[in-house]
Amino acid sequence: MATSIPRVKEAREILKKNKIVIAGVGETEQGKIPDKSSFHFLSLASKLAIEDAGIKKSDVDGLVTAFSLVEHTFMHCTTFADYFGLRPRFFSSVAVGGATAVWMAAEAAMAIASGQAEVVLCVRGDNTLSGISSSGMVALIREMCHAEFEFPYGLTTPGGYALAARRYLHDFGATREHLAAVAVTMRKHAALKENAMNKEPLTVEEVMNSRVIADPLTKYDCSIISDGGAAFIVTTEAKAKQLGIKNPLAYLWGMGQGYSHQYLTTLRDLDQIYNAINNSGQRAFQTAGIGPKDVDVAFLYDCFTITVLLELEGLGFVPKGEGGPFALEGRMEIGKDLPVNTHGGLLSQAHLGAMHHVVEATLQLRGAAGPRQVKDSEVALVHGNGGIVSAHSTIVLGKEPLS
Amino acid sequence: MAENKTYEKPLPDFRPETKPYWDACKKHELVLPRSKTTGEFFFYPRAISPGNDMSEDIEWVKASGKAKVWTYAIHYMGPTKAYKNDPPYVVALVETSEGVKMMTNIVECDPKDVRIGMDVEVVFDDVTDEVTLPKFKPAK
Repeated sequence: MATSIPRVKEAREILKKNKIVIAGVGETEQGKIPDKSSFHFLSLASKLAIEDAGIKKSDVDGLVTAFSLVEHTFMHCTTFADYFGLRPRFFSSVAVGGATAVWMAAEAAMAIASGQAEVVLCVRGDNTLSGISSSGMVALIREMCHAEFEFPYGLTTPGGYALAARRYLHDFGATREHLAAVAVTMRKHAALKENAMNKEPLTVEEVMNSRVIADPLTKYDCSIISDGGAAFIVTTEAKAKQLGIKNPLAYLWGMGQGYSHQYLTTLRDLDQIYNAINNSGQRAFQTAGIGPKDVDVAFLYDCFTITVLLELEGLGFVPKGEGGPFALEGRMEIGKDLPVNTHGGLLSQAHLGAMHHVVEATLQLRGAAGPRQVKDSEVALVHGNGGIVSAHSTIVLGKEPLS
Repeated sequence: MAENKTYEKPLPDFRPETKPYWDACKKHELVLPRSKTTGEFFFYPRAISPGNDMSEDIEWVKASGKAKVWTYAIHYMGPTKAYKNDPPYVVALVETSEGVKMMTNIVECDPKDVRIGMDVEVVFDDVTDEVTLPKFKPAK
């Protein structure tokens, strides 16, 4: 699937020259927290990331936010800047569904590389679990499918992923056990993370026998909904030194996007999805000058179990159709071939897009992931997926500067 | 099927470029848009061909109404309260003989009997006075 991608060399030079890093991370408590608003979570997460970096709030000169499912605003970044009391030189709201968090890091990097800002706060949070109205939930489901040609047939978001899953099972002779195994691994990892919502052990049988949501997907094939916030601070190695940041830095080695479709109606076949994932991954890999085998720990968007299998395969970690056995053999667990989502992911830890994926990747590279620490982790990959496996984003992070 | 007052499920909100499709559905005819420049069908309907031709010269062609199930998901939970009594119901992506995919429901069939590759044909469900939804049932 690897094809030559334009301007990879130039991207590599830009990242080598600028030495863009993630220098601070923060995450609030995750769970059902009805006494905090969306902007409260964003503010807390921002404060935690600023404190983690050991910088002053006034050192932040760039802001990247996402969107809220609860607070309706079409200028999300500046609405938050106002609430938090920031006067950023650079501001942007990224809104590409689950591809957002990963792309927030890229957006910050591009702003820095083009001289727009030096210290960019990237923050996302929401009180989705407690705050979303039933009409807001319907609006969200409607947003995920074509309002005119899909929604009138009663398609839900899990239903959209179930459509992809059914075709995947058909094309590769994969089984429900293969899907379930993904949820089981995520749960094992969440048990090791203090700030995780669901930690009780889960078996393949329990996943398969849980309530069917959209056949072939059951309750535990679907990610959780949560309240909370998370943030990270993107800057350069030079600026981090100047500010006296003491954290080990996570260096941005590469980034990429890939697009397949917005609506499943326009999906030709599963290869269209694989190609989008691969395009995203390959741009990031080629910029970093590495391949899938060089990745020590991966953070794959896990809104549903099927998503992880498609990403494992599309990114080239395993051949097409072999993600299922890889999951079932436990090879995504910490200490095995490719530890995936060591924090428990969207399936078990919390659902804040891939914010926690980025935060955990940074902690892994710092060597600060505690009981979840992957030994000698020097290269991490984070992949985001928005829509119904529609829009993809990938970053590769390294423990050392890109050389 | 005069259920106007009771139909509370989501309805399509027509756009100028999609109106001919829904008008045809109302007459129990399935039509598909095709670029006159390239001769290629596309779906969903747009005002401008999504191909490289970017043509506004679009014709509506009567479809065969025949399709094959490409994938399907048996829904045990609907998107709104109006679906409360419907599950299990089948949402499917079918590939029509013209080569486009359409989202639809597979009706007149036990959800357990739906299969990928199954031959289906269009049926029309007059859900309100204004809206008729094309759905698919197993082909005879």
